[in-house]
Amino acid sequence: MVVGDIATGTDVLVIGAGPGGYVAAIRAGQLGLDVTMVEKNAYGGTCLNYGCIPSKALISATDVAHNAANAEDMGIHADPVVDMQGMVAWKDGVVNQLTGGVEKLMKANGVNLMQGTAEFAGENTVRVAHGGEGQGSESIEFDSCIIATGSRPFEIPGFEFDGEHVLSSREALALDEIPEKLVVVGAGYIGMELSTVFAKLGTDVTIVEMLDDALPGYESDVARVVKKKAEALGIEFHFGEAAKEWRKEADGMTVVTENEDGETSEFNADKTLVAVGRQPVSDTLNLEAVGLEPDEKGFLQTDDQCRTDVGHIYAIGDVAGEPMLAHKASKEGHVAAEVIAGEPSALDYQAIPAAVFTDPEIGTVGMTQAEAEEAGFEPVVGKFPFMASGRALSTGHSDGFVRVVADEESGFILGGQIVGAEASELVAELALAIEMGATLEDLTATIHTHPTLAEAVMEAAANAKGEAIHTLNR
Amino acid sequence: MVFEFKLPDVGEGLTEAEIVSWLVSEGDTVTEDMPVAEAETDKAVVEIPSPVNGTVREILADAGEMVPVGNVIITFNVEGEDEPPIEAETETEPEKPAEAEKAASNGESSAKGGRVFAAPSARRLARELGVDITTVVGSGPSGRVTDQDVRAAAEGGKDGAQAAAEPTTEPEAEPASDTTESSGAQAAVSMQKPADREKTLAAPATRSLAEELGVDLNAVPEVEKREGQSFVTPEAVREYAAAQTEAKQADVASLAATSKEDERVPYRGIRRTIGKQMERSKYTAPHVTHHDEIDVTDLVAMRSDLKEEAENRGVKLSYMPFVMKAIVAGLKEFPYMNSMLDEEAEEIVLKKDYNIGVAVATDAGLMVPVVKGVDQKGMLQVSQEMNDLVGKARDRSIARSDMQGGTFTITNFGAIGGEYATPIINFPEVAILGLGAIKEKPRVVDGDIVPRHIMTISLSIDHRIIDGAIAAQFANTVKNYLENPALLLLE
Repeated sequence: MVVGDIATGTDVLVIGAGPGGYVAAIRAGQLGLDVTMVEKNAYGGTCLNYGCIPSKALISATDVAHNAANAEDMGIHADPVVDMQGMVAWKDGVVNQLTGGVEKLMKANGVNLMQGTAEFAGENTVRVAHGGEGQGSESIEFDSCIIATGSRPFEIPGFEFDGEHVLSSREALALDEIPEKLVVVGAGYIGMELSTVFAKLGTDVTIVEMLDDALPGYESDVARVVKKKAEALGIEFHFGEAAKEWRKEADGMTVVTENEDGETSEFNADKTLVAVGRQPVSDTLNLEAVGLEPDEKGFLQTDDQCRTDVGHIYAIGDVAGEPMLAHKASKEGHVAAEVIAGEPSALDYQAIPAAVFTDPEIGTVGMTQAEAEEAGFEPVVGKFPFMASGRALSTGHSDGFVRVVADEESGFILGGQIVGAEASELVAELALAIEMGATLEDLTATIHTHPTLAEAVMEAAANAKGEAIHTLNR
Repeated sequence: MVFEFKLPDVGEGLTEAEIVSWLVSEGDTVTEDMPVAEAETDKAVVEIPSPVNGTVREILADAGEMVPVGNVIITFNVEGEDEPPIEAETETEPEKPAEAEKAASNGESSAKGGRVFAAPSARRLARELGVDITTVVGSGPSGRVTDQDVRAAAEGGKDGAQAAAEPTTEPEAEPASDTTESSGAQAAVSMQKPADREKTLAAPATRSLAEELGVDLNAVPEVEKREGQSFVTPEAVREYAAAQTEAKQADVASLAATSKEDERVPYRGIRRTIGKQMERSKYTAPHVTHHDEIDVTDLVAMRSDLKEEAENRGVKLSYMPFVMKAIVAGLKEFPYMNSMLDEEAEEIVLKKDYNIGVAVATDAGLMVPVVKGVDQKGMLQVSQEMNDLVGKARDRSIARSDMQGGTFTITNFGAIGGEYATPIINFPEVAILGLGAIKEKPRVVDGDIVPRHIMTISLSIDHRIIDGAIAAQFANTVKNYLENPALLLLE
């Protein structure tokens, strides 16, 4: 502590105002605790500012243009003009409205907001360095601390983000003009989502992926639907190739890739988006001061109450481990705040749903058939293709399917994989089913509105029972 | 050097014991094996010997306190090098947590693959009540764990996981009984007398509200008549539920209210063991009791002939050995009467030993010494062994092993008075025979009313295993032997 520096005291210090941190701060405030929030950049974190919200805003906007331009089958002939600056301004408006809302909510719940970068100075003290010269720093003494510092995009050697040629997802979402040619390194969900956005805006997109397929981590039949559509949008895939180096050209850049055998290929582009994953932000916190050590990947280990090895310090969200999902972070924030307030709270979800906003979307929750087998269940699987859904056909989006995985003996829903229009919404029904311990019977016996895409969930459950009406049973 | 002495496992399966009294004080010198305390286990009072030579440093448990096995109850100063405190390792104690954990994870838990099939609200309730939901067996659809299962587990403590497997039938808000003593309850009852109709009209929302509040719609006072039927409103249901709750609380309050004259006796030790055992038996085995009477006139004559001879041989001959022999004859004819249900393996185990327990009322409560191998012993030997064991049970010097391994139990309620009773099976046995007193009563023999010696019997069976017909046939066999005691010579 600096001589003469008087520390501010607080019950709970939250570091990071992302979807984990701000939820924790608000909940702790609701429970009557004195809460201080330290945020380095912008309230709302990656999700609201550089991730979920801006990307989904752009995806929705480009879908409007794309769908309008590709509706000849429906008898619509249009040639939309996209004003990229206008689109980005609209997206920024959405983001600002949300981040402003988060700030207001925190204030309304009595959270003390503080701008700056926090690092530990002792077991119960952090120093917050305020941004900018002459802004100084101050100490905060806390009883409990919630680390919610999130994650940042991985860089690969030779492809340091420069904001001009080599972009992270954050910079790609802030482009104010549409690149003509874009190389995307990584065919994971971020690479695939943004490739789809730019392909729909007319960009010539090439994806370079080190592995053999797109969307690793998803079952191949699910990934196949998305890849097929991406190829139809003109996206070019190069699997088994790693980005090696790049050089500046008069008309942009050349990206050099290398395969396993050492053979190289070259791709010309205006810009390159590197989307090879994210790493936790745990290196800026001076964790040694509290005796915490992250694991080799940089994650902080926590128990089911979000507690780290140091009892009064909690970690939530991306920094506390996979999956790096905003809704997981929020849930953890909720739990950490309640635990600190002495409530009997714990992470006891049965499954975390995940969504990918590609075209079509992917929504998954719980176990795949293989995972269910591994866990000792005898799974039964039911599937329903959107091709057989009246609502899907009437929207012009009939790619994909709903798959429900259940325990054959008891009928308990164990998981589901949905690829198709609105999969991100539809998966919520399966998540609820899993959490409630619902069975196939419960799903099939629930009347679903007609005509909707949600009927596909009911039909898939019926298929698993061998009772499907609108498809042939397995 | 300080020696920490943990409460050892003084008997099999024991998890805690009550320290009845300390036989030493702090500063006393003790020698190895010298008794330092008396502890009451679930079966008997045992002395706890000192494991070392030394002096008593500190006594860490009060007399009357329940102490879990493995807790340090006393420390000794022992001569020796200045070493860190050593702990007396009990043989079973360190393994226990591991075993318990294993049992939990292998048990009929609903947590396969890390999954708990229960609604989030039930999972939260489990956390609030401190219940490990993965050990709760669900009674909901397909074995889903319900709120009620969690509550049952919380109330049942360690046994809760099992108790929860049986759906609780007790409604949450019981209609208040008319016999309730407390004034509060009476007021509630007079205000809200249960209606007990057969049919009640109500809106669906009212019905679901009633279900939610655990209220029987037919008991709710009618609000108005519609189409000639009683109709009730949600308000009436709420009012009725509130009155029931109030009545229940008044009940609890009246139970809790104690005047100065009232005495509170801890429900512990042998009393609690008997209670738990009875509860388990009663709620596990569906009891059916078969009553009959036996004309033992010939047996009375035979015993009085043999009594003197037995006394010459130093044995006090009661009727009990005859009954035991007759029972063994019956058990041999009906082997399912001499069995137990292995619920886990889903097998009925037909026992080949004939170990007959005799329930004995002692000052401390009911104990059941067991005479082993009754089929292989003569009448006098059975009689002698039984007399010895009963004596030991009465003065509480009986060994645990003498109360274990029974296959069938006799309870002699007639010794004190009474004709018929409903004996509770000595679980996991499947039957118990209760004996009434032998009394001279008028009976019709060959058309004449003559005085006869009559003994009444009450045979309770576990109806899961034994059908009523088998019980009656078994009783007939026993009856036949006791009415014609000469037949016992053939056994």
